[in-house]
Amino acid sequence: MDATPVILILVVVLVVYGLAYVFYGKRILEKKVVRASPDRVTPAYEKFDGIDYVPANKYVLYGHHFASIAGAGPIVGPALAMAWGWGLPLIWVLFGNVFIGAVHDYLSIMASVRHGGVSIMSISENVMGRKAKYIFLAYVWFALVLVLAAFFSVASSTFVGTPTAATISVLFMPMALLFGLLVYRTGVSVKTGTAIALVLLILAFFYSLNVPLYLTYEAWVVVLSLYSMLAAALPVWYLLQPRDYINAYLLWAFVALAVIGAFLTLDYSFTGPVYTSFVGPGTLIGALAGTSTGKASIAYFWPTVPLVIACGALSGFHSVVGSGTTSKQLSNELDALLIGYGGMLTEGAVSSLAVITPIALAWNFAALASATGLPVSGVLLKAGVNTTATPIITGLGGVDRFAVGYGLEQAVAWSRIFGPGVFEGAFLTFKTFAAWALSAFVLTTLDTSNRLARFAWREFFDWLKPRNELAYKVITNRWVASVIPVVLGAIMAYPKIEVYIPELKKTTVVYAYSIVWPAFAGTNQLLAALALLTAALWAYAIQKVRGGTSLLIMIPALFLWITVTAGLIWWLYAVVPGLPPLYQVGAGTIVAISVVLDFLLIGLFITGLRRARS
Amino acid sequence: MKAKEALGLIITVLSLLIFAYEILYVGLVTRNIGVNGSVATDAILISAGFLLIILGPALWLGEVPTNLKKLVEAKTGRKLS
Repeated sequence: MDATPVILILVVVLVVYGLAYVFYGKRILEKKVVRASPDRVTPAYEKFDGIDYVPANKYVLYGHHFASIAGAGPIVGPALAMAWGWGLPLIWVLFGNVFIGAVHDYLSIMASVRHGGVSIMSISENVMGRKAKYIFLAYVWFALVLVLAAFFSVASSTFVGTPTAATISVLFMPMALLFGLLVYRTGVSVKTGTAIALVLLILAFFYSLNVPLYLTYEAWVVVLSLYSMLAAALPVWYLLQPRDYINAYLLWAFVALAVIGAFLTLDYSFTGPVYTSFVGPGTLIGALAGTSTGKASIAYFWPTVPLVIACGALSGFHSVVGSGTTSKQLSNELDALLIGYGGMLTEGAVSSLAVITPIALAWNFAALASATGLPVSGVLLKAGVNTTATPIITGLGGVDRFAVGYGLEQAVAWSRIFGPGVFEGAFLTFKTFAAWALSAFVLTTLDTSNRLARFAWREFFDWLKPRNELAYKVITNRWVASVIPVVLGAIMAYPKIEVYIPELKKTTVVYAYSIVWPAFAGTNQLLAALALLTAALWAYAIQKVRGGTSLLIMIPALFLWITVTAGLIWWLYAVVPGLPPLYQVGAGTIVAISVVLDFLLIGLFITGLRRARS
Repeated sequence: MKAKEALGLIITVLSLLIFAYEILYVGLVTRNIGVNGSVATDAILISAGFLLIILGPALWLGEVPTNLKKLVEAKTGRKLS
């Protein structure tokens, strides 16, 4: 057990984020690097098309950006990383947020805005040459197909596992549309529209708690694929903006409740250890449980941490969102700091305050019961967790670890105000609320990914436009470009695969994301390193940023590149040989290709840097 | 009303009827929608409603709202078609 009080972590996290936003974000990045101005006309106005280039209210866009960048990563990754204890993951989240993730997100948005709303991949052409652009675009398009495959599978399995989360997710969509139509069509103010939508949302939540929606895994993959295709092809003002704006309230409520929960339990101490070991078991980095590789101590915190904690600290996917949908909707350059830098810090708060803190508090069930005097074991047993067989929270899987930790922290907190009688009800309600928040994160990412794949596809074929405009129009038609990644993603997500584990002498059925996830996480983190290097080079070559300010961006970018590249090479060496053939061919090949492309791009980066210096 | 808009209106009304039936009748009476482990008619219906409610209003109401066009015209000074 560790004696660290909850209040200490709460204060550290809030102070670090506050200082980072004001001193690094505002004073350095916005004023010295980007030199943002409210007078510049943004691409949302300049290239308005009513579909993708559409100016949005600052808070609506913040909601879209935050909801899109936050997938399952900020939750599942830190929950798994607790195998190293809670200290190292927390340090990585805070460091990654402030010096890498938030910088990467903000600069990606602003570089895109200054280049007419094109993606970070196309911006690489200006600083690294034309080859870099097409390598980067192809890399990103395949990475987005992997995102779709992984998230179709994650969302479908979440809906099968928690059918009440499926009900609220289905009910949520008409409410978001209603909000959009009220605001854009009837002239109702954003405040009134928000109030109407939120009241309906609260009613829908309590309805959903009692009415589960059942479908099979395969059927959910089909439904979500059709949803993703439709949502990605329709205009942003129609579904994406209102849906993400309303969704952001749910996600803020989720983070705010985590902060309130921490305040209400601030005199308690964590029941989990700050540090367990620098080397975790192979399962932490994708080796199969029960195998010798899975049991072996091969998950070194450095350099494998980016393969475990993705979006909570930093994520390459964010640069594609920032320079994809967000930059095309930005009304005012001064809005970008809150949206880009602030959005990433908010996502970091999800990891640090809504995942790491509750799990560290609820780590040892018996110790929590002893400290609070509440019937923890009995309530957990009713929820299907036997505390005799699983005495500590890390005995649960990643998603369950998060939902149980969040539910217990909230239940303990509200029991202090309303008495121990509410403990059981509060636990079940907040555990469902946590699953709903997770599925909301995943669904928004799902259709944004498809829209971004369409953008990458369109930019990849820009060479065709002057040669054969008709062919270009057909290939880049928004429906055609939306269907292709969805079909590929769905094909990978659809099967439930039987894997024979020799050590256990039995066959287990796994969902597709188990296979796709390590490849997705690896390519995603590598993309973050490449995008930050591109943004750093943009600041150096185009913005003429020099000296300490330039190094403040460049050094973390290089550190990340070295870390992720080393982590992936270690993963290919230590984990892949122990996987079944399907995993070796699928995940192993994709990551091996990614590493090769990674070295090609770093070569082009060095050439670009030399050119800029001379 | 154009054919596309009429189709959109029909789809919107149909999807709202499906939602009303599944949520207010099936959900409240049986306390669940669909059957665990299988693909039941109610689950198919509400899934169809979920997809149709996204498509219907988009066809019915058109693509760019007038007030959005006016905002862009005021900022850029150019006339949108």
